[in-house]
Amino acid sequence: MRGEGRILLALLAVAAVLPLVIHDDYFLHLLVVAGFYVILASSLNLIVGYVGELSLGHAAYLGLGAYAAALVTTRLGLSPALSLLAGAAAGGIGGLVIGALTLRLKGPYFVIVTLSFAEVLRLVASNWVELTNGPMGISGLKPPDLALGRGLVLAVHSQAAFFYLVLVLATLALFVMYRFVHSNMGRAAIAIRENRHVAQSVGIDPFFYALAAFVLGALFAGLAGAFYAHYFTYVGPEVFGFSFMMSMLIMVLVGGKGTLIGPVLGAVLVTLADEYLREAQQLRLTLFGLLVIAVVLFFPEGLVGLPAKLRRAAAMRGEARQ
Amino acid sequence: MLDLALQFTVNGLVVGAFYALSALGLTLILGLMEVVNFAHGEFYMMGGIIAYYLTGVLGLDFFASLAIVVLVMGAFGWVVDRLLIRPLRSKDTLSTALVTIGLSIFLVNTFLLLAGTAPHKVATPFPTAPLLLGPVVINETRLFAVAVAAVAILGTHLLIHRTRLGGAMRATFQNKEAAALVGIDVERIYGFTFALGTTMAAVSGALLGSIYVAQPTVGGLVSLKAFVVVILGGMGSFAGAVIGGLILGVAESLWGGFVSSGYQDVIGFAFVILLLLVRPYGLFHIRSERV
Repeated sequence: MRGEGRILLALLAVAAVLPLVIHDDYFLHLLVVAGFYVILASSLNLIVGYVGELSLGHAAYLGLGAYAAALVTTRLGLSPALSLLAGAAAGGIGGLVIGALTLRLKGPYFVIVTLSFAEVLRLVASNWVELTNGPMGISGLKPPDLALGRGLVLAVHSQAAFFYLVLVLATLALFVMYRFVHSNMGRAAIAIRENRHVAQSVGIDPFFYALAAFVLGALFAGLAGAFYAHYFTYVGPEVFGFSFMMSMLIMVLVGGKGTLIGPVLGAVLVTLADEYLREAQQLRLTLFGLLVIAVVLFFPEGLVGLPAKLRRAAAMRGEARQ
Repeated sequence: MLDLALQFTVNGLVVGAFYALSALGLTLILGLMEVVNFAHGEFYMMGGIIAYYLTGVLGLDFFASLAIVVLVMGAFGWVVDRLLIRPLRSKDTLSTALVTIGLSIFLVNTFLLLAGTAPHKVATPFPTAPLLLGPVVINETRLFAVAVAAVAILGTHLLIHRTRLGGAMRATFQNKEAAALVGIDVERIYGFTFALGTTMAAVSGALLGSIYVAQPTVGGLVSLKAFVVVILGGMGSFAGAVIGGLILGVAESLWGGFVSSGYQDVIGFAFVILLLLVRPYGLFHIRSERV
């Protein structure tokens, strides 16, 4: 197992004992939200970090997953456990359709068309009142109790239970992503990101591998959406909005794109920072704007790249002294 | 029915003139410099807010205010290019898009802190009484704003095609290395182009602030609309941005008037999605003619 996997396992072990030592419901709530963002930011990272294209429509799959979960539980009365699957499926299918249409485009075209899809979905969600209840949204979702067998139900009601649920989902997501990134498919995707023409010349089909990463990312964004719907018991058109897109993008950037640990660190740090700076309100967002600018200009590899950067700087100083 | 259609068309053309003006600014930045500028709507917003402060708070003349907006925002655009865009010139689309997203978050929230959430109206010297042109109602402010937009568009066209500076711009964006070889200061041209694009967005914002209102949070939608128009018209195409802007304005106005106002904003995005699937280089893209 590689270093990255070990660190992720260590983080998982720490996370697993957290609810045993933390009994503060408010802090547990923050951790649940952080877990939700871990899944979301990691899923975006598959596209931004590994395919190397900026998808600004990632909120589309979050929204599809959230609405799918809300609709199958409130309209069809399906079990909430199934709705998590429905959310992932909705996200994945959305990713397949949108990815197949847009991945032929490059650079600015890709950015703007993916964003357009998310905007169209947001406007449909706020205008198709019969299906989505319009701007009012769908409320009253039930907690995702897992029926393990006859009469045996794993009730997810407390904050701690929600935390373990999101931990299981995030672990699943990161495990699949780890396998993907370290498989031949993942290496092919990285080859395309680094040099498209060379990759093509050794027989890698850029479109196919980019689409595979895209669908996987969309699927987990859909799963995150379904979890969001059950945790907050409410889904409105804002799940398609640009603010979610901004949040996950900042997390991926701050943590370090193109690594598995980066978005995890970014999601936890930004969620906590966001909450504890809440009193500063708009000043907080102003600072976030400056933070994004500073990261792009000075730390393009994010937090994960920081140790290597410091080492390089130290080595340079050492050379200068000699 | 026909009168109503005519009225909606005129309304659409008025709005379309501003779409065209702000999209022209973006076609310089996105089409020529290849910077996916998410702060474009914020430049537009700043134009409106600054014009409001100059006319409404300081009580300056509308025309003087417009001139100050041009100067201030031109300088601002130059500084943004120098500090944020220039270090990333050799990087990919992702980096510049992200840095402008950061800039956009910063500007929206800074202006919310400074100006508050309330909408502001830019004061003009024109009477607001409606003018009747046959069945169509319009007022002087609108006519004037459209006229200024038209002059700005024409002026930019002349600047690019009739002056030495414009020649240097065209040379730079056709072949950067060759332009540098014949002695054109390429970095200066980039800085100027960004400043020009910024100014056009700001003028559009100041003019529209006199018809509707200026508000710190308006930028996001404006950026998206400008992207839509630039893609409709074809990246870097001057005529394309103008025609694309007018088409979008009229289409939205007619759709909003006759079909459904809720889905009005969908039109642009639907256009873009369809267009890129059918004609990926825009309606009016001719590869040899950029600018």
